[in-house]
Amino acid sequence: MFERIREIIADQTGKDVEEITMETNVKTDLEADSLDLFQIINDIEDEFDVKIENVEGIETVGDVVKLVESSKE
Amino acid sequence: MYADICGLLNIQYPIIQGAMAWISDPSLVSAVSEAGGLGVLATGHLDAEGCVKAIKEIRERTDKPFAVNIMLLSQFADEIVKAVCEQKVPVVTTGAGSPGKYIQMFKEAGTKVLPVAPSVAIAKRMEKDGADAVIAEGCESGGHVGKITTMALVPQVVDALNIPVIAAGGIADGRGMAAARMLGASGFQIGTRFLVAKECTVHQNYKDRIIKAKDIDTTTTGASTGHPVRVIRNKLARKFEELEKNNAPSEELDKLGRGALRRAVVEGDIENGSVMSGQIAGLVNKEQTAEEIIKELYEQYKEIMKNTAI
Repeated sequence: MFERIREIIADQTGKDVEEITMETNVKTDLEADSLDLFQIINDIEDEFDVKIENVEGIETVGDVVKLVESSKE
Repeated sequence: MYADICGLLNIQYPIIQGAMAWISDPSLVSAVSEAGGLGVLATGHLDAEGCVKAIKEIRERTDKPFAVNIMLLSQFADEIVKAVCEQKVPVVTTGAGSPGKYIQMFKEAGTKVLPVAPSVAIAKRMEKDGADAVIAEGCESGGHVGKITTMALVPQVVDALNIPVIAAGGIADGRGMAAARMLGASGFQIGTRFLVAKECTVHQNYKDRIIKAKDIDTTTTGASTGHPVRVIRNKLARKFEELEKNNAPSEELDKLGRGALRRAVVEGDIENGSVMSGQIAGLVNKEQTAEEIIKELYEQYKEIMKNTAI
């Protein structure tokens, strides 16, 4: 799942997939604004058929992965 | 594709007055609602107590529906939501985030929820969160703005959603309303034009500046902080531009911006204050009552819709 999430994030932020780790900070490292962040969440929700709550609390890519995992349960 | 916004909100005209912090107070809100539109109280500068006081004042002036705008980033958002639900306010509009965690409370209070969305993904999010309609706001708007124009944003949001879409940004007359309707919007949110309403209590200097404004007079500042704001390009805005050009730290920008809106709205300092305005200010050229504005908007809109054929 992390691989696919990485690809989605890389695609939206224009970064290389390799640059993105679980520790990558969405705002400071990826320079994603709220428009980017909601686009990423939207694409992930469509991809995994989930609804992600608490988007406001997201800081790192790891946070995104955790939210997807918990909403799949 | 088109929805009955008037039926949804129980209003006479599909015209919503955009919330303007420090500006859309009970005087303007009640005048717009009384004239058959939807007045929207701004609460970005209020705490819950101030909000309840304003709601009561609106109800003393009109028994028509009105809305309260909630800035979700406000430190008082939780308590304002609670107060709004207790007061059974008929409609809320929300900005700066998703109202998802409050939706249940709003539904139980019978409050309709209209979030502002600057992109398709955010609009879809709001629909999933249970919004009753979405306000698709283009970057022509005054105040906090997104990146996409109304012309490009509205039809894309309309295609992506199954709930009604209200267009905002760059609308100040019947032509703008008709254009937004053609893009698929079922209702229209208008801010700048109502700023010069006779019932609007903003400082006269502010009104005069809007009336004097030309098409090129606004700019956006604060893009580097992630929260761009559209304002009239005055001394303050130029200082902001200078700082941003020199990559000044965001603390410095915050310091410059602090209290700036109040300075313009309350004190009338339109050079060193933040004069938020939409790009359409150049079209706004006279003070009228809210009722005159709404009647004129709707008559012109109706006339265009009636006479438009290829």
